[in-house]
Amino acid sequence: MEDPPRAPAHNPFFRFVHAVQNTIDRPVTWFRESVVTPNRPDHVYYHQKFRRVPTIDQCYTDDPVCRFEAQQQFNRDKLVDGEIVQLVRQRLKECIAYEIPDQDRKCAKLKEEFDKVSESFCMKYADLGPYNNVKDAYMKQKHRMLWERRHGKVGTGMKNEDEPL
Amino acid sequence: MAAFSTLLKSFVRNANLVKNGAAVSNNLLRPNTSTALEAVRKMSGHEMMHIKPSRWSWNRFKDLLNFYVMLGVIPATVVITYINLFIGPAKLAEIPEGYVPEVHEYYAHPITRWMTKHVKKSYQQEYEVMCQHIYETDYARKLRLAEKRVHQKMQEKQDSQAYYYEPVTGRNERHIKSMLERSVENVGTR
Repeated sequence: MEDPPRAPAHNPFFRFVHAVQNTIDRPVTWFRESVVTPNRPDHVYYHQKFRRVPTIDQCYTDDPVCRFEAQQQFNRDKLVDGEIVQLVRQRLKECIAYEIPDQDRKCAKLKEEFDKVSESFCMKYADLGPYNNVKDAYMKQKHRMLWERRHGKVGTGMKNEDEPL
Repeated sequence: MAAFSTLLKSFVRNANLVKNGAAVSNNLLRPNTSTALEAVRKMSGHEMMHIKPSRWSWNRFKDLLNFYVMLGVIPATVVITYINLFIGPAKLAEIPEGYVPEVHEYYAHPITRWMTKHVKKSYQQEYEVMCQHIYETDYARKLRLAEKRVHQKMQEKQDSQAYYYEPVTGRNERHIKSMLERSVENVGTR
């Protein structure tokens, strides 16, 4: 991760400040570029890609191996989705920090995006308790769909219980 | 390894502490000494022997502590500095087509890579071992359930002699017999 080169300063004050910074920066940079970097071997690393396995709704009830694999996939997906939410939230935070006091107007789109992303994350993973379970998440989806069938979309209020479906 | 304590000794020897023979207020400690005797005692002009309790144990403790801490700290520092400077972390790259990377190629730092290669079991290995374990225990459980259902039916209907059949293999009996024969050969009697 190399830093972008600094623009040359014409102002004597900034020239002085840069000179003071360079008393430490130049020797260290020289050491790194001449002694350290040429002697390092070029090795790389990769990000692991996992194959998709059948999810819990495609498993038979008496197949615990399928359920184990679905649970592991659920855990991995939860990590990935958590990181996605973090990235979107970080973008919103940076926008707010930069645009204060205009953040309501200028960051509205990012806020909408963050609200949507966190809502879908919470729809899938939240309110399940401390021990996450892919079967509980599946049941949560089933209950939500039943509720939506009876009362309409989540967020539009409950209908009267006495009315027929 | 008297390194640490000798360093301190030279500073402490010149300090104005009671243990180095600094003046103690005689009104408190020795109220009955006469001033004349005291004056005569201090007239020698030579270094006096400092009477104080032994600090040998404390000094030895400091020396040992220093030695054993440095015994771990110095090699670790040297090795880790060398690895960070001259081997360095790996760079991120795309997986090339048709290539399945080794497990240790998924990590950046060289020490993590080494540990993954030689010390740790990989995620895939543990995952597959767990899958096999689940499959085996589930198989055994299903067999036991089936056996239980068969026994229940036999109890209900009472129409099968199989209830009285004990499943026994001759394997253990054959083994005991061969052991007996061997002991007869060695000892002479059974």
